[in-house]
Amino acid sequence: MKAPLRMAIRSAAFAAALGLFFIVIFLLAALFVKALPVLDMRLLFGDTPPMEAIMGVRPVFDGLFPAICGTLLLVICAVVLALPMGMGAGIHLALSASPGTRRRIGFCVDLLAGMPSILIGLLGFSIILFLYRYFPFITPGLLPAAASLACLILPYLIRGTWQAIHTLPPELMRTALSLGASPVQALRHVLLPAAKPGLTGCILLSVGRAAEDTAVILLTGTVAAYGLPSGFWDPFEALPFFIYTTAAEYSSQRELAMGFAASLILVGLCGGLFGLAALIRRTVQLKIFTGKLS
Amino acid sequence: MMNQNIKIRIRDLRVAYGKSHVFSGVSLDIPEGAITAVTGPSGVGKSTFLFSLNRLLEAESQVRVSGSILLAGERGWQDIHAASTDVYELRRKVAVVFQNPNPLPMGIFANVALPLRLKGIGRKADLEERVVRALKQAHLWEEVGHRLGSDARTLSGGQQQRLCIARSLVMQPEVLLLDEPTSSLDAAAEAAIESLLLDLKRTCTLVLVSHSRRQVESLADLEFSMGQREKKPVFPEC
Repeated sequence: MKAPLRMAIRSAAFAAALGLFFIVIFLLAALFVKALPVLDMRLLFGDTPPMEAIMGVRPVFDGLFPAICGTLLLVICAVVLALPMGMGAGIHLALSASPGTRRRIGFCVDLLAGMPSILIGLLGFSIILFLYRYFPFITPGLLPAAASLACLILPYLIRGTWQAIHTLPPELMRTALSLGASPVQALRHVLLPAAKPGLTGCILLSVGRAAEDTAVILLTGTVAAYGLPSGFWDPFEALPFFIYTTAAEYSSQRELAMGFAASLILVGLCGGLFGLAALIRRTVQLKIFTGKLS
Repeated sequence: MMNQNIKIRIRDLRVAYGKSHVFSGVSLDIPEGAITAVTGPSGVGKSTFLFSLNRLLEAESQVRVSGSILLAGERGWQDIHAASTDVYELRRKVAVVFQNPNPLPMGIFANVALPLRLKGIGRKADLEERVVRALKQAHLWEEVGHRLGSDARTLSGGQQQRLCIARSLVMQPEVLLLDEPTSSLDAAAEAAIESLLLDLKRTCTLVLVSHSRRQVESLADLEFSMGQREKKPVFPEC
C-alpha cells in the first residue's frame, strides 16, 4: 500500500476514534448544561425530606428518587431472570450443541435480538391479560415488566456467553479434562473464569439495554408519579419512561430541565453499574491469580 | 525384554476418526518405572496413541477406539474402557503433559492446585504442602516460590512446561504421558526438562512421544516405533 493512502486510512481511523470521544463528551456536556438549573436535592426528593423519602416514610411525587429506585430494581430483576436461561443456552450452544441445533437456535436468537422492543412489550402485555383471567393478582407491574425485559436482553446474554466461551482456546477444555475434571468442573473452574471478561461484557450490554428501554415497560408496568413499589406486582416509576413522558408532555422549562437531568442520571446509573461490574471482574480476577478462588 | 513389571498392556488397539483410520493393530507392553519412547513419522498417530491411554481422546467428537488397554494396579489389571472405570480418576492416574506449555489463565499456585481442588481437596494446608512438593519435584520451586500468585503465563516457556509437569505430578500419577514436551523449548529448557524426566522415572512410568533421535537415545529405556508396529529395546541394559 502506498504511503499517502496508508496515511489517509490511519488519519481517518484516528478521526473516527476521536469523533466518538467528542460525541460522548458533547452529549454529556449538553445534558449537563440543560439539566444544570435543576441539579439540586429537590430534583431527587421534591418537597419530601430526603431521609423520610429514603426510609419510605413519606412518598415522593415530584422528584426522581422513585424513578431511580424503580429503574434499578427493574434492571436487577430483569438480569436475574434472564441470566440463568441466557447463560445456560449460551453454554449449551458453545459446548455441546450439534452444528444443526447451533444453526437453528442461532437463527432464533438473532431474530429475537432484531425484534422491535414494542413487540416484546405487546407480547408481555398479552400474556399479562391472559394470565389475569386465571390469576387476578397478575397485573402490569415490576415483575411482569422485568420478565418482558428479560426476553429483550436474552439474545444478548445467549450470544455473548456463546461467543465468550466459543472463542476460548480449545486447549483449555482439553487441559482441564486431562487434569481429571468432569465437563461441569472444567466449565466451572476453567472455562467460565477464563471467559469472565467476555461474560462481563455481555452482562453489561444487557444491563444497558434493560436500563434504557421504554417500549417494553410502557406496556407492562411503569406509570408516572406512583412512588416506590411496595411489591413485585406493583406498578413502578422508571427513568426512561419519565424522560419519554417529560419530552412529550412538559409544561414548563423546569419540567424539561428535569427530563434532561433524568437523562443525565440514567447515563450515570448505567456508568455506575458498569463500574461496579468492572470492579467485581477485577476482584474475581485477582482471586483467580492469587489462588483463593474455591 | 527387560526384567520389569508391566504397567500398561495394550492389545490390538485401533483408533479411527469417523471413517478414517488413524492406526490399527497396536499391541505393546509398557514396563513400569521406565521411559518408553514412542517414535515414528509425522501423522502416524503418536499423539493419538498417547491420548488413548487415558481416554482423553474420547473428549473429541467422532473418535472410535477399540482394542484393550489394561493398567496394572494394586488390585490387578484394570480395563480402562470398562464401565466400572472412573474416567476422571483414570486421568489423574495417567496424567499427560502436552507438546506446548499450556498453563491455565490463573496464578502459579492456582494452576498447580487445580487438580487437587477438582478432586475435592480444599484444605489450605494440604493444598500448600502438595503444591510446594510438586513444584520442588519439578525443579521449579526455587524460581517461583516467591511469587506463587503471579500469572502463570508470565513464566518463560521452559518454566511453563515445568509448571505443567508439576501440575501433573501434584496428582501423584502412576503414569506420565509426555507429548513432545520439549519441542517448543530452547536448548537450556530442554536440558532441564530432560534431567527432570530422568528423575521422575524413579516414581512413575513415563511414555514419551519424541521426534528427537538424540532425546530418545539419551532418555528412553524402550522405543516403540509406530511406523513399524513393533517395539524395540534401545538400551535393554538400562
